[in-house]
Amino acid sequence: MSDMMGEIRDLNLTYLMLAQQMIREDKSAAIYRLGVSQQLAEILADLTPAQVLKMAGSNVLLCRLRFDDKLILGLLTTHGRDHAMPQSHAAILLAQQPVEELA
Amino acid sequence: MRNKSVVTEGKQIQLAIELINLGARLQVLESETGLSRERLLKLYKEVKGESPSKGMLPFSADWFLSWQPNIHSSLFVDIYHYLTEHTELRGIDALVKAYRLYLEHVQANSLEPILTLTRAWTLVRFLGSLLDIVPCKRCGGHFIVHRLELNGNYVCGLCHPPSRAGKTKKLAAELTQAALAA
Repeated sequence: MSDMMGEIRDLNLTYLMLAQQMIREDKSAAIYRLGVSQQLAEILADLTPAQVLKMAGSNVLLCRLRFDDKLILGLLTTHGRDHAMPQSHAAILLAQQPVEELA
Repeated sequence: MRNKSVVTEGKQIQLAIELINLGARLQVLESETGLSRERLLKLYKEVKGESPSKGMLPFSADWFLSWQPNIHSSLFVDIYHYLTEHTELRGIDALVKAYRLYLEHVQANSLEPILTLTRAWTLVRFLGSLLDIVPCKRCGGHFIVHRLELNGNYVCGLCHPPSRAGKTKKLAAELTQAALAA
């Protein structure tokens, strides 16, 4: 079990650091790629290394599966002849989803 | 003098270079930067090493409605609207960013980038006049449609592809090649 806790912490750390890097390099593109609101993106980018470490040390994952809609999941796992079209369909539907934001 | 501020002019030149590199036609540059036609022509030749293509822009709204172009164009417009809704980007800046994200999607999935920047720019101008965006009744994704058609029961080309969808000459040639090689 402690192995899994370590992996969760590693993934949280990787996710938070990647998110920060993405937001600092290109905020608008990061808001699209991460699916978060501008406000949340700004808060993430401003986290100090100490705060990132503290957040990452949680026993739950901090990033969530964005494909919670059955349809999107179905599209992404379809391997038809026109493989790329399900990917485009998924991207169209993702652009329609609400962003993660502060309540 | 059209541009009093050197900084503003610098920004406009930067934008023009970015647009030229993305494949924009001269008409797009003239409309989006405050630079004169002569300066843009010179800049274009300097960046591309050749003169810009002459003639009219592709102006047909129907192009955006055939099967494959519709999917590419709808994806671009959805990204564009995502950016204008959730970020501070507006106008040409949002268009350029959305186009770059569209190109990224196309490359990641080994597709042909059939939507050019000039078409993407034309598309944004057509929205609200000739073209509109409606949700598909089945999947809920937003797609480009003719403004004047009845779209209450619209089902998109991905939920209900036409029987010949995607069967291009190129694909047929590839299949023949593969069959010959086998």
